[in-house]
Amino acid sequence: MAEMYIKPGNQERGWNDPPQFSYGLQTAQSGPKRLLNKRVPPPQLSGPQCPSPGIPPPLGHPTPPTNPAPPPACGLTPPPLACKTASTPPSQSSLRKAQTDSPSTDSEGEPSVDEVVALLNWVLTACRKSVRKQVCDDVDKRLRVFEEMWNSGKLSLPVKKRMNLLVQEMKSRNWDAADDIHRSLMVDHVNEVSQWMVGVKRLIAEARNLQPEHLGTTDTEQTQSDTPVDPNPE
Amino acid sequence: MDQQQQQQQQQQQQASMTYQEFIQQNEDRDGVRFSWNLWPSSRLEATRLVVPVSCLFTPLKERPDLPPLQYEPVLCSRANCRAVLNPLCQVDFRAKIWACNFCFQRNPFPPSYAGISEVNQPAELMPQFSTIEYIVQRGAPSPLIFLYVVDTCLEEEDLQALRESLQMSLSLLPPNALVGLITFGRMVQVHELSCEGIAKSYVFRGTKELTPKQIQEMLGLMKPAASGQQGRPLAPPDMAATCRFLQPVHKVDMNLTDLLGELQRDPWPVPQGKRPLRSTGVALSIAVGLLEGTFPNTGARVMLFTGGPPTQGPGMVVGDELKTPIRSWHDIQKDNARHLKKATKYYEALSNRAAENGHSIDIYACALDQTGLLEMKCCSNLTGGHIVMGDSFNTSLFKQTFQRVFTKDYNSEFRMAFGGTLEVKTSRELKVSGAIGPCVSLNAKGPSVSETEMGVGGTTQWKVCSLTPATTMGIYFEVVNQHNAPIPQGGRGAVQFITQYQHSTMQRRIRVTTVARNWADAQSQIQHIEASFDQEASAVLMARLGVFRAETEEGPDVLRWLDRQLIRLCQKFGQYNKDDPNSFRLSQSLSLYPQFMFHLRRSPFLQVFNNSPDESSYYRHHFMRQDLTQSLIMIQPILYSYSFYGPPEPVLLDSSSILPDRILLMDTFFQLVIYHGETIAQWRKAGYQDMAEYENFKQLLQAPLDDAQEILQSRFPMPRYIDTEHGGSQARFLLSKVNPSQTHNNLYAWGQESGAPILTDDVSLQVFMDHLKKLAVSSSA
Repeated sequence: MAEMYIKPGNQERGWNDPPQFSYGLQTAQSGPKRLLNKRVPPPQLSGPQCPSPGIPPPLGHPTPPTNPAPPPACGLTPPPLACKTASTPPSQSSLRKAQTDSPSTDSEGEPSVDEVVALLNWVLTACRKSVRKQVCDDVDKRLRVFEEMWNSGKLSLPVKKRMNLLVQEMKSRNWDAADDIHRSLMVDHVNEVSQWMVGVKRLIAEARNLQPEHLGTTDTEQTQSDTPVDPNPE
Repeated sequence: MDQQQQQQQQQQQQASMTYQEFIQQNEDRDGVRFSWNLWPSSRLEATRLVVPVSCLFTPLKERPDLPPLQYEPVLCSRANCRAVLNPLCQVDFRAKIWACNFCFQRNPFPPSYAGISEVNQPAELMPQFSTIEYIVQRGAPSPLIFLYVVDTCLEEEDLQALRESLQMSLSLLPPNALVGLITFGRMVQVHELSCEGIAKSYVFRGTKELTPKQIQEMLGLMKPAASGQQGRPLAPPDMAATCRFLQPVHKVDMNLTDLLGELQRDPWPVPQGKRPLRSTGVALSIAVGLLEGTFPNTGARVMLFTGGPPTQGPGMVVGDELKTPIRSWHDIQKDNARHLKKATKYYEALSNRAAENGHSIDIYACALDQTGLLEMKCCSNLTGGHIVMGDSFNTSLFKQTFQRVFTKDYNSEFRMAFGGTLEVKTSRELKVSGAIGPCVSLNAKGPSVSETEMGVGGTTQWKVCSLTPATTMGIYFEVVNQHNAPIPQGGRGAVQFITQYQHSTMQRRIRVTTVARNWADAQSQIQHIEASFDQEASAVLMARLGVFRAETEEGPDVLRWLDRQLIRLCQKFGQYNKDDPNSFRLSQSLSLYPQFMFHLRRSPFLQVFNNSPDESSYYRHHFMRQDLTQSLIMIQPILYSYSFYGPPEPVLLDSSSILPDRILLMDTFFQLVIYHGETIAQWRKAGYQDMAEYENFKQLLQAPLDDAQEILQSRFPMPRYIDTEHGGSQARFLLSKVNPSQTHNNLYAWGQESGAPILTDDVSLQVFMDHLKKLAVSSSA
């Protein structure tokens, strides 16, 4: 669902700035962690074995090394060929995939601004029945900023796609999911969305409190069904 | 099955486990790691063991398998005991009476327990619930409060990044949390947050110290009749008044987003050769005063974001003349740091006030130069707040660390708790010497307070204003049983930890952990006691004592103290012939301990060389609160080696581990270093990883990156990340941490041996060990 990517840190402003993880990666429940917390006792104390500090003995690993042929130690002799992959350390392919999955490589088409805005306005209209006018006007103001930024090309494709996803969740009344997408956009793309996203956030919060029937009576439902929705936007 | 049989069975189970398994199980279940898992039965023998009976305790250790009970704990009726009913208590099911295992008082069960029997026991009596959590049903839930205190004397790029991070944080806060904003530069502004219209702000001069009462009057927080800022929380005293400065996020998020977006740099011109005038001291005192006046004894977080040192008013750390540099260790040693004492005193007073009210203070300091953490550290250290130190607000280090303050657990609940108190109860033979961690004393006197103080002592209760699941306290005990007295009744001693806190769901909760360990006669059972030694926990506990001392004593004195303790421990437990260093051996349960002490001596927690006073304060801040695993990484960094020879393996933190055909991953907690050996670096340069037939080389290069990412993804605070290779300038991070077994001085002795010589005159582990052995076996020592 959420975007999974890692981008490099800001080396200009901070020395050795660490890479930055997307919201999706930060919140993903990863499997059992491979804890790197083992230590080797110094040779001097643990009896006579291993007097040379050269290569310490491997300690308690489930799979013993199987590679009999070490690579040459110097010069530009090539590394051992790939047929010995059995002995290379296991790597977490999932993370690596995530890393290459850059946020903007998706080649699929751009969602339509009208459709996204229409859905947001449908929710706003529903809210107007019970929510204070000033709040609604404030939300409206921000939705316009959003529309304007989209139309003037100030929003990146990932933001547009995730906004489309967000309104689809709103349409299906999945408020938690919509809220989570809003959060991921704030974390990953705050410089693009900070001005107007708070309006979307408030809209989600207000719509969540609405009586379901307020939302049911809407004409956009039909308009939506004519315009096919990107089935797999991410 | 009666209680005694159960206990016996439990002990038998424990007996069939190795100590390592036992230690791990106890840490997983109770968040407790004791230095000794068998306790010497007399005061004299205990002191001879050198390392005190003590433990690392993680009060809110994450326990996904532990649902909280929807009722309140049953307490012992003896007024000076009040221990909580637990699995160690003897129960008479027929008479409905339980005997307290701490004071032996017999207590009737409350009426709601009328139905209990051997087959119908409440959870808190079952042995597997040695740790259990209760939800307090009384009282109104109190909101979480976040008060942002923002420095505006920043460069535009930094201010922009900070604006965005703060706006972003509004999406991460719980919607019903109260939020407030204070900004400061030359002046201090307290912003009124309203849902509509134009918001006002109150402006204060940054040079004048104000009393809490003045602050509350000026902000209009005093109600004419109620002068009672003391005493019980009047709940939200007057929402209308407090409302103006602290508002629920969901009500003001739109206006606050705009307000933050429009934050301007401090408008006062900064002349050439001057620092901006920064009124951090007054800003913090207004924040503390505001919370004190509105929400005493309610969980709250002051979050200070600053980009430079306080330069005016109370709490100033350095003047505004750029030609006068901020104090260095050298200045401090020469007693030449003009503002140090006064500023420290000022912030300590503020911190104590905040702590008294259960409020915590975070400091996010991002600047290339020092920002005064040395003087301000108490704000976070005494209140459980975070300190984060970075180069700029526009770095991933700051942004992600800040995001992680708001991370959630497996239940989608915030990993933060507020307003905690930790109380420790002990069996009669044990007294409490003190605690070391992010806490202040609550001065709770009583029969179990020891006269020997270690850390923050003289009490059995401490306030921990802010807790995360990682927050870990060091608790130190004294065995008081007299020598030659029989082993105490029941054969074991017990400790109960009672942690009361405000959960992020606004509930009050009480977590109770009750643990017991067997007493052992140190003369006849010394091998058993030795086998029960937890060298990892002991290293961290002794290190905390050392760092605690280092805050007040001279560095060399602390090192000498640590050395003496190590020598005594080796004398006590080493196997050797007198005056024959070569015969010296340590058993497995102590085999890593000297190495930990060697690296601790070299660590930035005890050595200030090459670190600024701010950096030392920062490192120590984190060392004094992390759990065992993280603390141990700080003492002795982890080093893993990746090669074609097999799976990644831990290797000695030693220059001999730096080999041409290896990739090394070093974790020092604050830095992650990936180091490519000479050959690997050449292969990488030649691009073998891009050739299909060398896919395995590509995988080898990737493996340490993946492991590093796992660490980066969860560590708080974000570490710096260094990807370097043989001969690279950044290789110094690795070279400065490894044991210099090969140096320019002994290189030839090693001949053609592999490894990398380190250009240093530092003592190597080998030399250190030789000295240690010599001293340990010496008959004159």
